[in-house]
Amino acid sequence: MTQTETAAKKTAARKTVAKKAAAAPAPKKAAAPAKKKSGLAFPFTAIVGQEEMKLSLILNIIDPRIGGVLVMGHRGTGKSTTVRALAEVLPFIDRVEDDIYNRTPSQFVEGEDARKGAKAIDPATLKTEKIPVPVVDLPLGATEDRVCGTIDIEQALTSGVKAFEPGLLAQANRGFLYIDEVNLLDDHLVDVLLDVAASGKNVVEREGISIRHPARFVLVGSGNPEEGELRPQLLDRFGLHARIITILDVAKRVDIVKRRREFDEDPDAFMKKYSREQVKLQKKIQTAKELLPEVTMSDEVLTDIARLCMNLGIDGHRGELTITRTAHAHAAFMGQKVVTMKHVREIAGLCLRHRLRKDPLETLDAGEKIERELAKVLGEAEAV
Amino acid sequence: MKIAFTDIVGMDLAKQALMLLAVDPALGGVVIPSAVGSGKSTLARAFADILPEGTPFVELPLNVTEDRLIGGVDLEATLASGVRVVQHGVLSKANGGVLYVDSLSLLDSSAVSHIMDAMSRGEVLVEREGLSEVHPANFMLVGTYDPTDGEVRMGLLDRIGIIVPFTAQNDFRARKKIVDVVLGKRDLEDTRDELKMLAGFINAAKEQLPQVSITKEQVQALIQTALSLGVEGNRVDIFTVRAALASAALQQRSDVDEEDMKLAIKLVLIPRATRMPEREEAAEDMGPEEAPPPEEEPETGEEEQQPDNSTDADAEEEKEETPDMIEELMMEAIETELPDNIMNISLASKKKSTSGSRGEALNNRRGRFVRAQPGEMRSGKVALIPTLISAAPWQETRKKDKKMAGRPKTALIISKDDVKIKRFRDKSGTLFIFMVDASGSMALNRMRQAKGAVASLLQNAYVHRDQVALISFRGKQAQVLLPPSQSVDRAKRELDVLPTGGGTPLASALYLGWETAKQARTKGVSQIMFVLITDGRGNIGLQSSFDPNAEKPSKEDLEKEVEALSLSVQSDGIASVVIDTQMNYLSRGEAPKLAQKLGGRYLYLPNAKAEQIVDAALSF
Repeated sequence: MTQTETAAKKTAARKTVAKKAAAAPAPKKAAAPAKKKSGLAFPFTAIVGQEEMKLSLILNIIDPRIGGVLVMGHRGTGKSTTVRALAEVLPFIDRVEDDIYNRTPSQFVEGEDARKGAKAIDPATLKTEKIPVPVVDLPLGATEDRVCGTIDIEQALTSGVKAFEPGLLAQANRGFLYIDEVNLLDDHLVDVLLDVAASGKNVVEREGISIRHPARFVLVGSGNPEEGELRPQLLDRFGLHARIITILDVAKRVDIVKRRREFDEDPDAFMKKYSREQVKLQKKIQTAKELLPEVTMSDEVLTDIARLCMNLGIDGHRGELTITRTAHAHAAFMGQKVVTMKHVREIAGLCLRHRLRKDPLETLDAGEKIERELAKVLGEAEAV
Repeated sequence: MKIAFTDIVGMDLAKQALMLLAVDPALGGVVIPSAVGSGKSTLARAFADILPEGTPFVELPLNVTEDRLIGGVDLEATLASGVRVVQHGVLSKANGGVLYVDSLSLLDSSAVSHIMDAMSRGEVLVEREGLSEVHPANFMLVGTYDPTDGEVRMGLLDRIGIIVPFTAQNDFRARKKIVDVVLGKRDLEDTRDELKMLAGFINAAKEQLPQVSITKEQVQALIQTALSLGVEGNRVDIFTVRAALASAALQQRSDVDEEDMKLAIKLVLIPRATRMPEREEAAEDMGPEEAPPPEEEPETGEEEQQPDNSTDADAEEEKEETPDMIEELMMEAIETELPDNIMNISLASKKKSTSGSRGEALNNRRGRFVRAQPGEMRSGKVALIPTLISAAPWQETRKKDKKMAGRPKTALIISKDDVKIKRFRDKSGTLFIFMVDASGSMALNRMRQAKGAVASLLQNAYVHRDQVALISFRGKQAQVLLPPSQSVDRAKRELDVLPTGGGTPLASALYLGWETAKQARTKGVSQIMFVLITDGRGNIGLQSSFDPNAEKPSKEDLEKEVEALSLSVQSDGIASVVIDTQMNYLSRGEAPKLAQKLGGRYLYLPNAKAEQIVDAALSF
C-alpha cells in the first residue's frame, strides 16, 4: 500500500470530503461520514432573486474552465447561503475509489506512476465511484498546513511512516473551493492560492518528503466590498464577478421571510417541497454539460466580442477568453447549440466588470459602461 | 454580591431585548451601546439568570488570539501524550449559550471576522495545525460597547438581531445608585423568587412561540418600514419578524399586535436606519444640512439600482396596498422613537465623554500578535509556543532518527519546519483623515478635486495598508462621511452625494477629526495625518454645532476654539497638511494661519489636481 493510499483511506473514513456531499441525494452513498453532519442547507431553487449570482455559479458548473466567480455585495443578501446551497445541485463525477485527490483513473495512474519505485498500475484494475462535485469551505482562520497538507503525525508516530496528510486543496481538486469574506483572507494564504490556481498543482515539502498533487478547482469567493478591497492579482483570477444587492421589492422580501421561516420550522419538509425543482435543475445542468462540446460560435460573434473588449480598453486576453467560454456555457444552459450576441449580452457584465481600468473620477457604473459599449458594438454589427 | 437581572432598575429596553433573545435565540444576539459606567455589562452578565440552568455563558477577552478563539492544539496534553490533543476554542465553548463581549467595538477585526463566520455557519471550522474538525458553535452574541470607543463593524451587526437604540434612556448612572441602595435592603429570598418567576415566564413564552402567527400584511408593513428607513440587506426582515413573534409570545398571545411590531421596529430597524423615513412634513422639519437630500435616497447604492427601476416602482405600489392603518402606525412608531436627528446620535455621545479624556495618554501599540505562521527564523519574531506545539509530537520519532544520534538525549529537537513566526495585525499604515470644506465659500470644482484625491489614495490603500477617513463640514457641524476604511466603493458612494453650501464649522471638523484619530489609535493605528481642504475661514462655533440656540460666538472666540483644538491635535502627534484652494485675490491668509496652528504644512494649490493633493499628502 502506498503512502498516499493509506492517507486517503484514513482521511476518507473520518472527514470532510464527504461532509458537504452527505446531504445530497447520492445514488450510492460512500461510507457514511463519521463526522457530525452540518445542518441542512437551504435549497438552491428556493432562493429568491439574485439571478446574477445564481447564473454565474451554474455556468461555472457547466464549464469549470470559466475560472470561478467572485460574489460581492451588501450584507445579508444571501451570498453564502447561495454558495452553500450549490452543493445540492451539483452533478456527479467519477473518481478512483477513495482517492483523496478525486482523480480519474487515468490521472490516478499518471500520478502514481510518477512516484519513485511505484509499480505500473493497470487502469482497468481500478475501481471507480461516483461522487458529487466536492465543495470545500476554506475558513478565514485556516492555517497554511491545513490548506496545503502536511505530514500525518499520528501515522508517523504509530507506524514510523512519514505519510502525507492532504489538505483542503487536495479535497477541492475537480470541485469548488469556497472562501467567504475572501477580501479579508490573509495575504500569505492568498499567495498560496494564486500559486496553486496558476499551476493547477500543489507542492508540499516537509519533514524530508516531497508531495506533488493536482489541485484544479473552481474558486468561489464572496464578500462585502465595504470591508476592504481585494488584491488585484486575486481579482484577476476570478472568471466572473457577480454583484448582489439588497432586494427592494416588498413582495419578494415577504417571500424570502416566508420561505426562511418555513425552512427553519421544518427543514426536512421544506427540502421535500423543493426536491423536484432541485432534481430538475440538476438535470438541466447535467444536460447542458453534455451539450457543451457541441456548442459553436460564429466568427462574427467572436469579432464582436473582441471589439467590445478593445473598446473598453481591457488589458490582456483573459476578457475575451472568459466571455467566449461563458457564452458557450450560457447557450448550453439555454439548450441552444449556437452562441448568439444575445447570450453574450447576458453575460458580458459578469465577465468584464472587474477587468475595467479603475478611474477615480469615473462615476459611471461598470455595468452601464459595458452595456453602452455593447450597444455600440451591436449597432455597428447591425449596420454592416 | 452578584446583582441579579431583576435587581436592575431601569434599562427597560435593554431588558426587553434580552428577554426577546431568551425566548428566541435565533435572533442571534443583542448589542447594547451605552456610556461608561452605565451598568450595561452588569445587565449583560445578569442575562444568565433568565436562561435555563446550565446554559453556557462565555466571556470573550478582547485580546483573544486566533487559536484560543477557534480552537487548536493543546500544548501540554500533546507533549504529555505525543498525540495531538484538541483544545476547543471560545466560540465552541459558547455553543448552546451566550458569548458575551464587553467593549465590542474594540474587538480586533480578525476576531470579528471569525465570530461572523461562526454565526453564519452555526459551527466553527478548525482547519489549523494539522487539525480538521468541525465544532458546533450555535451561540447568542451579547455585546456591550461605548460608542465613544468607535463603532462596531456593520458586517457583525448585520448578524445580530437586536440593537438597543442608543438614547439618553441608556444612561443609567443615576439609576445604578438606586440599585445600590435597594440592594442593601433587599431580601435574597425575594430575588430568588422573582428570578424563578421570570424564568418560568420566559419558559412559557418559549412554548408559546410556535403558536404565534403573523399576517402577510404585517410582514409587509415591517418590510416597508425597513425600506423607508433605508436599512441595508434582507436578513434584517427575518429578525424583525422574529422579534415581533417573540414579543407576542412573551405576552402569551397567539397573534402579533401593534405593540409587538412597534417593539420590533424599535429594536431591530431603527438602530440600523440610514435615513429618515420619507414623509413630506417630516422632511421639511429637518435642517437642510443634516437631512440627506432626496437624491441620496438609496443608501443601498443608487447606481446599482438603475438597471431595474421597476423594483422601486413595485415597492411604491406595494406601499399603496399596505393597509393605511398599519402604515400610519409604523410611521408613528418611528417618529416617537427616532431622535430628532439620527445623524446626531453618535455625536451626542461623544460630547458627553470628552471632559477628562482629552489629556489621556496615547495608546501606542504597534499592532497586536494575532497568529503564528510558518516562516524563516530571521524573518520576524519567533513565536515560541506555536513552534513548540509544532515540534512536540515529533520528539519521539526524531530522537530515534539516526541523523540525530550525535545530539544529547535531553535536548528538544526543533527542525527548520517547526519554526513559526509571529504575525501582527498590521496597522503599520497611515490613516489619512480628509476634512473637506463643503461650505458655500468653496467652489464646487474643489469638491471634485478632493473627491478625486480621496479616491486615488484609496486605490492604493490596500498596497500600503493605508486607511482613509472622510469628514465633510458645512452648515452647523461637521460629519464623518466615511469612518476609517480601505473601501473604494464606499468612499465613492459617499463622495458622489456630498452636498455643498452653508456655513463653515471648522472647529467642529477639527474636533471630529481628532475624535476619529483617537479612536483609530485605540485600534492600533499609530500614524495619522489630517488633510484639510479648506479656505480656513471658520464661522460656526463648536457650541452652535451642538446646540442650535447657542449664541453666535465672536470672531476671537472662534479663533480661540480652533487654536485650542489645533494644540490638542498637534500634541497628540497628528501630522497635518492644509491645502488652500482659495483664489489668490480673495485670500485673507486664514489657511496658512491654520496650518501654523496645527504645526503642519501649508500648500497653496488654487487649481490643485487630484494627483497633486495625493502627492502632497504622501510626501510626508
